[in-house]
Amino acid sequence: MVKIDLKLLKKEAEKEINSACDLQSLNEVSNKYSGKKGKLTLVLKSLAALPKVTRAKVGAEVNDIKRFLNSLFDLKARELKEKLEKEVEEKEWIDISAPGKKPLAGHLHPLTQTKRKVNEIFQSMGFSVVEGPEMENEWYNFDALNIPKDHPARDLWDTFYLENGLLLRTHTSPNQVRYMEKNQPPLRIIVPGKVFRHEATDASHESNFYQSEGLMVDKTVSVANFKAIIGEFFQRFFGKTVKIRLIPSYFPFVEPGFQVDMTCLNCGGKGCPSCSYSGWLEMMGAGMVHPKVLKASGLVPKGWQGFAFGMGLDRMMMMKYKVNDIRLSYSGDLRFLKQF
Amino acid sequence: MNFSYNFLQSFFLKKLPKPEKLAELLILHSFEVEEVKRVGDDFVLDIGVLPNRAADCFSHMGIAKECSVLTGFDFQLPKTQFKEGKGLKIGDFISIEVKDKTACLRYFARAVSGVKIGPSPKWLKDRLNSCGLRPINNIVDITNYVMLETGQPLHAFDGDKIEGKKIIVRFARSKEKIVTLDEQKFDLDSDVLVITDEKNPVAIAGIKGGKIPEIDAKTKNLIIESANFNPAIIRKASRKLGLKTDASLRFEHGFDPNMASFAADRVVLLIQKLAGGKIAKGSVDIYPDKVLPKTLRMDLNYLNSMLGKNIPEGVVKVILRKLGFQIVKEEKKSRSLFVKVPTIRQDVTIQEDVIEEIGRVFGYDKIDPVFPLSSAVPPKNNLDIFWQELTKDIMKEAGFCEVYNYSFFGQEEAELLKSQKGQLIEVKNPLSSEQKYLRLSLLPNLLKDVERNINYTKNIRIFELGKIFRKPKEEKLMLAGLMVAESFYHVKGVVDHLLEGLGVVGAWYDEYKPTPEDSGASMWYPKKCAEIKIGDQEIGFLGEISPKIVSALGFKENIVSFDIDFEKLSRFVSEEKEYRPISRFPATIRDIAILVPRTVKVDDVLNKINEVKEELVVDVDLFDTYEGEELPKGKKNLAFHIIYQAKNRTLKSEEVDKTQNKIIKTLEENPGWQIRK
Repeated sequence: MVKIDLKLLKKEAEKEINSACDLQSLNEVSNKYSGKKGKLTLVLKSLAALPKVTRAKVGAEVNDIKRFLNSLFDLKARELKEKLEKEVEEKEWIDISAPGKKPLAGHLHPLTQTKRKVNEIFQSMGFSVVEGPEMENEWYNFDALNIPKDHPARDLWDTFYLENGLLLRTHTSPNQVRYMEKNQPPLRIIVPGKVFRHEATDASHESNFYQSEGLMVDKTVSVANFKAIIGEFFQRFFGKTVKIRLIPSYFPFVEPGFQVDMTCLNCGGKGCPSCSYSGWLEMMGAGMVHPKVLKASGLVPKGWQGFAFGMGLDRMMMMKYKVNDIRLSYSGDLRFLKQF
Repeated sequence: MNFSYNFLQSFFLKKLPKPEKLAELLILHSFEVEEVKRVGDDFVLDIGVLPNRAADCFSHMGIAKECSVLTGFDFQLPKTQFKEGKGLKIGDFISIEVKDKTACLRYFARAVSGVKIGPSPKWLKDRLNSCGLRPINNIVDITNYVMLETGQPLHAFDGDKIEGKKIIVRFARSKEKIVTLDEQKFDLDSDVLVITDEKNPVAIAGIKGGKIPEIDAKTKNLIIESANFNPAIIRKASRKLGLKTDASLRFEHGFDPNMASFAADRVVLLIQKLAGGKIAKGSVDIYPDKVLPKTLRMDLNYLNSMLGKNIPEGVVKVILRKLGFQIVKEEKKSRSLFVKVPTIRQDVTIQEDVIEEIGRVFGYDKIDPVFPLSSAVPPKNNLDIFWQELTKDIMKEAGFCEVYNYSFFGQEEAELLKSQKGQLIEVKNPLSSEQKYLRLSLLPNLLKDVERNINYTKNIRIFELGKIFRKPKEEKLMLAGLMVAESFYHVKGVVDHLLEGLGVVGAWYDEYKPTPEDSGASMWYPKKCAEIKIGDQEIGFLGEISPKIVSALGFKENIVSFDIDFEKLSRFVSEEKEYRPISRFPATIRDIAILVPRTVKVDDVLNKINEVKEELVVDVDLFDTYEGEELPKGKKNLAFHIIYQAKNRTLKSEEVDKTQNKIIKTLEENPGWQIRK
């Protein structure tokens, strides 16, 4: 029987455990004492040679020490593990302020988004969305809309004429007639589409641009109804309370005719450079459908009345997103398009 | 048009509201006022007179009348009473003949004798200056002044320079010429109405006076012309000669012929006051079809229904009276007023015009918004738009940016489509040579977009959904897109993704077969492009843009693109989708690698595999294509995953082996195909 000072052994082991600096050395310490050939194991193995009384006493003592050391091991092991994890974490630190990797995202043109919004609002108010041709004839673009040939009113629309006898529509209004020819009132439509004007381009004028026509015809449709519908539209489109006003204007295909102004979004009506200090922005032309237009559409005007309006979608888009040059829309410039 | 505030004030005894206040009233009820500007001791209002109101409001009198209606102030007509000189008769000075009475609606003339030509007084010069007219001499200034006042253009001839003391109104003869007051020479023809004496044209009717009878310092005797011409004829002549004047502007819009005598009287009165002379007794007035006031019936119920506001009858009547519209009859039963419209208001011809007058004077701001009471008919769903929008969303998902390009082509773009040039529609009056045709394809403008962006990004994926135009009168909705520095297979994948998203069944890709006139001129690189087909319908193309074109545009990267007839495609789209149950049992994957000649298509191999018709094979995937030095020349290696799965059991290895061997055997039947084991 090896004579061993158990107390000393316990002390040494305790010391070694506490000074272990990583899991591996801790493991080695553990093996040294409790492993197959560990010191304590050897003591237990040598117990058989001892007298029964002593055996029980020493055995109990060794087991106590073993239990004590085990719990010490566990404690130390946990501590070292945590320390290791911390070290690893430290190494894995990333700079969250560095830029993210963007997915290759596509973008819809801001005019598409504007058109969708306009369509959606009017659809919720019972308007159907229809479309019409971009090449028109003089009848639909002018005559049917009470804009006779050789009349100065035609000068309001600078027109591209084509060699095939057609022209590029100067507004979406021909679709009032095209639709009413095929559909009896009551009716409510809006007609978005590309239109063309023969005029020099600058920041606020384009030769190609987009409009949306609106038309509602029924038995008692009134100016008051128009004010309600169009006010609701602007409110929802710009997402804020806006005031509108109607001021007299002239379009041969409506009577009475008006221009719709909205309080300037920029200054709220106080007056600023964007509204030329008037507090108002011109938003669209509108009016009550002229009886001659109803007639040209094959309707008997008596008994039907309604309103029509035409708004520039480019202008709506520009105001919504604060775009200052209409030409950007048609530039194909991705630095512009990718912002939407 | 510029209006003088002092001039407007001259029609009123009461003081008008301040210029800005007046402008505000006019904006709300009459016309836009673009600007109020101080000029000396006067203010100038730039008023956007609406085209339909040119007849009465291209004049200070007309605007003053509006002010009177809006303020309620009494309006004073300018004075026209004058004394006729003794012993002078108009007939001694002039005789007038109108050859075409549909062209000249009225010709009114007076004569003044013994005038003294000189400068105008300051007040007159100031008013002309305020309105942007240059003072010349008292006579010319007075005619201009009265035009600004009444809207009636007037002309003064030196009576002694009129050959034969005779004025004839007729269309010009070809080869006739005229030199105008400002020394411009014009060749005339039978579209141009002229005023002539016995020999020569002395004025272009309604547009400009001629040099011959010009007023000069020695002028003594005057003939004052106050006429009215057919608007369409003046418009045509003005356009033809490229000559626009204050007079032609007014005549083109048309106005009340009854104004002619009033204005002429006003002119001679002022001449007498400012230049002396005697006014000849009588006038010449050729006015065959006198314009009389119209009476319109206005239904008060209709008025209220149209405006959506019950305006008290009393208020309606007050407004009408202020406008100078006379109520000649009332019908209580039908609640109708019969309204006599003054001839000066030539724009008011139907009941709705009267309603507008009442609406605007009453004030649209006093009409409260009311939602319409209509039957709740749900809007029709527009499927065309639905598919267009869905397509855009799918393209966006695929990482594409949407562009909107011009609908035009210049020569450069047209050249890209050489073989189809005959189908280009020409614009008769293009703004520039870059816009001389309508676009025949979306691709050339998309390539231009690349040019615009390539210097700062190589990452270009763009698409457009828009109309193209083709002779004779066709317009067609197309969808086209392109990617820079990607391969044929990338763009094919995009098209696949699109067609799948649109629920298209039966799409496939066919060899590109250029038509004889197409070959050599096509935008496509023939070896790397395909026709997109659905069933036996060709709906478009995809592939690489010809390297010749790409390098000519100065791009280093290749460009792949697709071009689809959207209208054709729309016939095959479908929203229907059906869920296919996922088997609960595991799938087994076996690979097959096959060595085939280079020109063998993946489709050929797939078709062969499908011939085996085994229901255990649920999918076959090409996962690798390889051509390289290690392989025999002219061969390529294709590697497929064959995926086996049963709906009702876990497959046993032997079952899979059996089918796999069958496939291998079938493939090996082809001479030159070799399974690599």
